[in-house]
Amino acid sequence: MHILLIVIGLPIATGLAILSIPARTKGLREVLSILGMAANLVLVSTFFGKDIYLTLPWAGGGIDLSFRLYSFNSFILIAAAALGFLITLYSASSMYGKGYSRLFLAYILISFGLVNGALLSDNLIAMLFFWEGLLLTLFAMIAVGNKNAFRTATKAFIIVGVCDLVMMVGIALAGHISGTLSMSKMAVPMTGMGGLAFLFMMIGAISKAGSMPFHSWIPDAAIDAPLPFMALLPGALEKLMGIYFLTRISLDIFKLEMHSWASTLMMTVGAITILVAVLMALVQKNYKKLLSYHAISQVGYMVLGIGTMTPVGIVGGLFHMINNAMYKSCLFLTGGAVEKEAGTTDLDKLGGLGLKMPITFACFIITALSISGVPPFNGFFSKELVYDGALERGRIFYFAAVLGSFFTAASFLKLGHAAFLGKLDSRNSKVKEASWYMLIPMILIALSCVVFGIYNGLPIDRIIRPALGNAIHGGHSFAGFPKNMALVAGTVVVLIAALLNHLYGVKKTGKGLGAVDHIHNVPGLSWIYDKAERGYFDPYNIGRILVKAAALILSSLDKIIDFFFSNVVVWAADTTGLVIRKMHNGSHKMYIMWSLVATVIVIIFLMRTM
Amino acid sequence: MMPSLLILIPLFVIMAINLPKHTGRRLAFYLALALFATQMILAVFHQKLFLTNEAVGIDRFFRVDLSIDHLGVVALVCMGIVSISSLFVSRYMPLDESERFKFTNLLVIMSIGMCGIVMAKDIFSLYVFLEITAIASFILIAFKKDIGGLEGAFKYLVLSAIATVFMLLSIAAILLVSKDTSFAAITEALKVSGSQPVVIAAIAIFLCGLFIKGGIFPFHGWLPDAYESSPAPVSILLAGIVTKVAGVYTIMRITMLFGSSASINNVLLLLGTLSILVGAFAALGQDNFKRMLAYSSISQVGYIILGIGAGTPLGMAAAIFHFFNHAMFKSLLFVNAAALEKETGTVSMSKMGGLAERMPVTGTTSVIGILSAAGIPPLAGFWSKLLIIVALWQAGRYSYAAIAIFAGVVTLGYLLTMQRKVFFGKLSAGLDDVKEAGFGIVLPSVILASIVVLTGLLFPFIFQSFIIPVKELLQH
Repeated sequence: MHILLIVIGLPIATGLAILSIPARTKGLREVLSILGMAANLVLVSTFFGKDIYLTLPWAGGGIDLSFRLYSFNSFILIAAAALGFLITLYSASSMYGKGYSRLFLAYILISFGLVNGALLSDNLIAMLFFWEGLLLTLFAMIAVGNKNAFRTATKAFIIVGVCDLVMMVGIALAGHISGTLSMSKMAVPMTGMGGLAFLFMMIGAISKAGSMPFHSWIPDAAIDAPLPFMALLPGALEKLMGIYFLTRISLDIFKLEMHSWASTLMMTVGAITILVAVLMALVQKNYKKLLSYHAISQVGYMVLGIGTMTPVGIVGGLFHMINNAMYKSCLFLTGGAVEKEAGTTDLDKLGGLGLKMPITFACFIITALSISGVPPFNGFFSKELVYDGALERGRIFYFAAVLGSFFTAASFLKLGHAAFLGKLDSRNSKVKEASWYMLIPMILIALSCVVFGIYNGLPIDRIIRPALGNAIHGGHSFAGFPKNMALVAGTVVVLIAALLNHLYGVKKTGKGLGAVDHIHNVPGLSWIYDKAERGYFDPYNIGRILVKAAALILSSLDKIIDFFFSNVVVWAADTTGLVIRKMHNGSHKMYIMWSLVATVIVIIFLMRTM
Repeated sequence: MMPSLLILIPLFVIMAINLPKHTGRRLAFYLALALFATQMILAVFHQKLFLTNEAVGIDRFFRVDLSIDHLGVVALVCMGIVSISSLFVSRYMPLDESERFKFTNLLVIMSIGMCGIVMAKDIFSLYVFLEITAIASFILIAFKKDIGGLEGAFKYLVLSAIATVFMLLSIAAILLVSKDTSFAAITEALKVSGSQPVVIAAIAIFLCGLFIKGGIFPFHGWLPDAYESSPAPVSILLAGIVTKVAGVYTIMRITMLFGSSASINNVLLLLGTLSILVGAFAALGQDNFKRMLAYSSISQVGYIILGIGAGTPLGMAAAIFHFFNHAMFKSLLFVNAAALEKETGTVSMSKMGGLAERMPVTGTTSVIGILSAAGIPPLAGFWSKLLIIVALWQAGRYSYAAIAIFAGVVTLGYLLTMQRKVFFGKLSAGLDDVKEAGFGIVLPSVILASIVVLTGLLFPFIFQSFIIPVKELLQH
């Protein structure tokens, strides 16, 4: 069997094996899932720097199973596999003994087969096949959660499914225009239908990544789905896949120009996503929900970076993608550790956990500093690159990004303060550190955040630049400390402002959780927050209202049609039948008359016409 | 072998069962059964048996001119199947032995008449055989000698008399231009003097005579009364085959004889469509089971007439196919009507209900019958209606095709209403003792239902081996 097919088939086969293991064999499924993910990691690690092309006949008509491994997708594969392995290790421990762990672990494995397939596919239809398969595991993984999970899973399924459908149309359009479905051979101009095709495929890509306005299932899933799901999919995998595909379509298939409308559109979407999601994150009172809004907000930086279509922006966007996958999944894992030990993620009931869970707290500090963009952690460097690209295209995008950083820092100060510092709640007096199976993944990810920060040349020069090729970055290296000191100064000012803001808020309300209440209570803004919390701005809810309205209109139309058929038509038929029956009064004289009159008419007609 | 055997054998059977007084009566049923079976076998294997066109043997002696073609075979097979069904049903109806014997006699006489109609190659012989059939029918309709039966027979008699006058007049007029009454001579004569007013008038009234026989709107007045009031085995015969052979098959023959002309086709199409619609709408609100089926017959005959009226070989082939299908499903429904009448003692649908649980076989075969009648795939009726509509479409008669499709909905409407009223729902009061009808009624019902299903499923085979040859034959 071909190595590429093994990479796709092995995780799926392992997942199916886990599903078929009897429920009472404890521990076996955990071991099997960890071994499966380890094998996956080892396999994809051997791919690094290789070029493999494989094509198998499939449906015909330009639709075949063609796979292409090259520098770009190989690094995404490795990143996904590494995070996947660690998160599986974590889930195996945190879920041990729970009823749904068998399903969940199996779904992780199956998802990885599909992720590998989607990343490796060169034919767009083959990619769609795996991409849509992920929709099913996404649904299934959310649905195993708490009692509301099924509804949330449905919401996610509908939002992502509709966006995938839009992408499908885009792929069909692009395939029609270019005459091929192979990504490496496609070249579609951005004019006319080509532009529409790009728009549709972009919607598919950024909705996968969780950008606004296709985000609203993520905060719901944060509450309802099992926590490792958040760390794995919205935290890491979906960002990797969505941004990978966005880069592929922008650079390979459509070859966007720097000042095209599509570039500006992507930057606008990115900037809005950063700001709106981070403002929502700011006021959250729940550990997981707060993180979930950041999962959305951070996508904004990547879309903004790639949308600039400048070399520095693209490199920054991709770098930010890897960094975010690391620190965001680690942050979710710390949330999971807190939830497992303290039994809640409600920030009101937490506080002072720092001494009880020192390692978790340390990992949280490192990753929170990363996401806030504090030097020398990895988030700082990728954000600086994105700022650089954004500034090149327009100040407003830069300001939006920097303002986003301010709120990000402020909200993580609040989160850390509320959860780990302050007074220990009496209910949490027995809390202890999480198990080593959960800690090791967190420590490893946190450490790599440091490594990727200090030695940022490693990911940028060794991985991202080879992946993009010389044509994009022109041989220029973006590694090392940022050259533009004005940008660094701006970042430092913003971080200090966030700290001051935090201190002001804490002083005013007397507790960490209240650190941003003065922003929350700004007149006007508080009204918007209130509405947003109740879901008034959720595109899903708006869509549901529209669908309900349409259903109402259509059903009244249907009632009219029903009335027509079940009353008017029936009446007409009955009356006709009645009249005809009345005519058959049984009189043979009448019948003879009919026959004779008709005969005369037939004779006259034939005489006239023949 | 000679086609006249199909006439002579029944004649011999009549003699055989009547001469020895007691044995004959007992044997009558089995002899008649054997006769109809023989009739079908002879018809199916006619190509081997009656290959020669020369008159041989007795044919030469009697100087009769009979022949069988594809259309004839279908009619003969239908006759065989329907007559056997009727015979079986008659055995289980409340008739005493002597009445049953009379019935068998009349059935055989009727079959002589119909065989003659099918094989006649002479317009006067055709008329004679029509009369034989009609006379047997009059007696059969009034068989119970009740007031309804007599009334029905009387109406049929009166209108048949008019038809007789029409046909005789027409033959007389045709003899003005033709040297004798054989089809060949008439065809020759019409080529020369086909446009003379007297000839056209002759054609017109001959057709009108046949319309009366076939019960086509507005010549159909006698038909609902006759079907409704005749005993069950007779309604099976009348609906399944008698009016079809006397009225519809003859129209096919006569239009082929007179040659296809646009005017005649227009008349056929118009009357066919009116029959379909009037029959269907009249059936819609009927409470009497048999009367509903009678109107349904008018409607279905309309389809056959539409197929003929398309004026193309495909239309004719479709018409004869629907002829066969109609004979099957309509006899099936009338056999079921017999079962219901026998078991519940009524034909009023409003008094029935929920009978499917008491009469499962009848209920099931009834569903097959109505679905075939309404033209639901893959049953037989669907294919023949489809072919008729295709033929109409190809002939450019789009509006007629549209009406034919529309009427299918009405057909389904009244037949499903029937099914629901009679078989579905809760069992009506007073029907607790109802049980499945006897073997003699269930057997034909099942056989007919199987034929309907098989014809539908084997349609590709039938299309290849029957429709296409008929079409090609007619093209010459």
